[in-house]
Amino acid sequence: MSEKNHRVSRRQFLTYTLTGVGGFMAAGMLAPMVRMALDPALEASGGAEFVSVGLSEDDLSEEPQRVDFNVEIVDGWYTSEQSRSAWVFLYEGEILALSPTCTHLGCTVNFGTNEEYPDQFFCPCHFGRFERDGTNIPGTPPTRPLDVYDVEVRDGMIYLGQINQRG
Amino acid sequence: MKWKEKDAAMYLAEKEYVDTAVIPLMPVTAGKDMQDVVKSGEFIRYFTEYLERQYAGRVYLFPAFTYIKTKQVPEEQLKHWQELLREEGFNHFLFITSDASWRRTSADSFGELFWIPAFSVENMEVQELAKTMEQQVQQLVPLMMDMWQSEEK
Ligand code: FES
Repeated sequence: MSEKNHRVSRRQFLTYTLTGVGGFMAAGMLAPMVRMALDPALEASGGAEFVSVGLSEDDLSEEPQRVDFNVEIVDGWYTSEQSRSAWVFLYEGEILALSPTCTHLGCTVNFGTNEEYPDQFFCPCHFGRFERDGTNIPGTPPTRPLDVYDVEVRDGMIYLGQINQRG
Repeated sequence: MKWKEKDAAMYLAEKEYVDTAVIPLMPVTAGKDMQDVVKSGEFIRYFTEYLERQYAGRVYLFPAFTYIKTKQVPEEQLKHWQELLREEGFNHFLFITSDASWRRTSADSFGELFWIPAFSVENMEVQELAKTMEQQVQQLVPLMMDMWQSEEK
């Protein structure tokens, strides 16, 4: 193969590759747009489906209970089941389901594990604290309340939906 | 925090809160011991991922320190990791492994060596796996709390 030929073929190779990559990227960007245009409901639901946490309304009390359940997660190119947790309880007559993820930097909070504050959520990482309703306690690192799950009751069973930020 | 760009950015912004480096020590081999070594590696991976989820705001989970399984584990090289991370502001070092060879090394002098026997997690459902890892990680929590407390004197 002559030197000239070689160069041409290399350039061609690059051109093809770049077109290929560009096309691939364009397709990647277009696909969600097309999907959204076709089915706006897909976007509106935010992807979160309601899942049962295996607890009935009668199981609830004012004492926060931890429930574990599975959700589908897309991470890179894997879709996998992952476990999630929530603290579920009755607060002023309503069902409240709090996310256990500390709003400071994301450690997992527990209820009542700090002996001095038995009625609060406590984060072991930097001693963040939250009131029973999830309100962050000033003077501790978190600056907003714990996130809440959408709650639905179907045939007496508790279902949790997407997670929402407050404050 | 994990070995992800988003987490690295968060770490750089919140460095003073993230003082603990978790480093899985993971042997590699091929041949007849391979299945066993892989089984342990898988266990350690789930274990450290669960740990990271619980303490994501204070702990940085590094990619596994990976080495060829021989009798002589590369402790000098691990020490280099530790020194580099110490210079960058990490204060606590948690080495997590199922490889018993580390127990005969000095790893415990420049970090906390947590050795844990592995078992197969292959057939576990997500929920069972989470429960199992929660129990396993519980064994480590007192050590970690001690480690953290020793600094807040
Ligand atoms: S992550 Fe909870 S207080 Fe910092």
